[in-house]
Amino acid sequence: MHLEGEFTVAAPRLTVWQAVHDPALLARCVPGCEEAAQIGENSYRAVVKAKVGPISARFTLVVDIVEEEAPDRLRIKAQGEEGSRASMLTAESELALSDDGDGRTRVTWASDVNLSGRLGKYGLGLMKKKAESLSAEFVTAFSRRVETGEVVE
Amino acid sequence: MSFVLSPRTVEEAVGLLAELPDALPMSGGASLVAMKNARLIEASHFVSLAGIASLHGITATDTGLRIGGMTRHAQLAACDLLTGDLSMLRQAAGQIANRVVRNMGTIGGAVGNADPAADYLAVLACGDAHVELTGTEGSRLVAMTDYVTDWYETLREPGEIVTAIHLPAARPVPSVYRKLCRVPGDYATASVACASDGDGVRVAVGACGHGPIRSREAEAALRGNLRDPVAIAAFGAALADLADPVDDVRGTSEFRLRLIPRMVAAAISDLEGKR
Repeated sequence: MHLEGEFTVAAPRLTVWQAVHDPALLARCVPGCEEAAQIGENSYRAVVKAKVGPISARFTLVVDIVEEEAPDRLRIKAQGEEGSRASMLTAESELALSDDGDGRTRVTWASDVNLSGRLGKYGLGLMKKKAESLSAEFVTAFSRRVETGEVVE
Repeated sequence: MSFVLSPRTVEEAVGLLAELPDALPMSGGASLVAMKNARLIEASHFVSLAGIASLHGITATDTGLRIGGMTRHAQLAACDLLTGDLSMLRQAAGQIANRVVRNMGTIGGAVGNADPAADYLAVLACGDAHVELTGTEGSRLVAMTDYVTDWYETLREPGEIVTAIHLPAARPVPSVYRKLCRVPGDYATASVACASDGDGVRVAVGACGHGPIRSREAEAALRGNLRDPVAIAAFGAALADLADPVDDVRGTSEFRLRLIPRMVAAAISDLEGKR
């Protein structure tokens, strides 16, 4: 499943760059994120709960930053499974930041997500709609928190 | 492991659901049990609604019809009360899945599950139906056109059950349910419910978004122009504009957007032929 999008944040590029490295801030922006912690220099662990109608899943994810060129570009790999190992999720994402004038930053992102196991049986068409609406929720929350200066460190 | 509980009254059922946070209501179980077997859902308890007498059957009321939530698809497919502008409901019920599923599955379960590709939602939106939701606080009615809020999300709160569907009394004008599917009994790739309404029509499109698509504005613009192909094409295009279909095994989003105006025009033409 391929997802992509772009959005602008009313904050300078360096601020946004710091924000996308801040697990505490991201945890509060990712819908359904129950916990997030840094476990290595470029490695994070997160527990995320997602729900589509009566179906819910709780994934434990390990997120690695595999490549970065500060403060422009970031490549992230996420891997995880449900507690019961019934479904596996892998995602490769790329994020690019650029100045958008007036101290604004444009964020362009793309993500390839694979889901296998019990949830893989479920319609991918619907998963994509759900992923799109979760992305939109994240963008709203992230922009608001960064713009109001809620960057933790 | 899950337990099945069998309350005898609605009060008992909603009481159990309030008491047991990981319990799910179960009506016919046609979809729920399949989802449980595929390990898509988990529940500590299933609160079966099958033994609640007040949820069974179709009755005439002062304003129209009350269809109990436990009414099976097969009963609706054979119901003599569904005539005229309600005959589309009978047609839709008869096209659900196969005989086994129609004998098990219920309208309350289907509306509770709110699968966007299932057959009732478009018909009920077209038919100005209201959904009766009951929880520990009592019952409330919500219009089917407002009921579905997102993909598999509805105004039904956890702990509430669909106790009935309310429809206005049947009027002696034609109605039709058109369903495009890969094989008979499949979920709809796209569907259209259409009922005559004076010199206009009421139309709802199914399986092309998170909920049924209906536009009273577009219906008003079409009023009096049912023989005008340009007006009909504009009407179909207006409904397609409101659609947000998925890409899936049944068809691409693009394909579904192209289907909508054609199926809408075909449904209107069906009605003209039945006048």
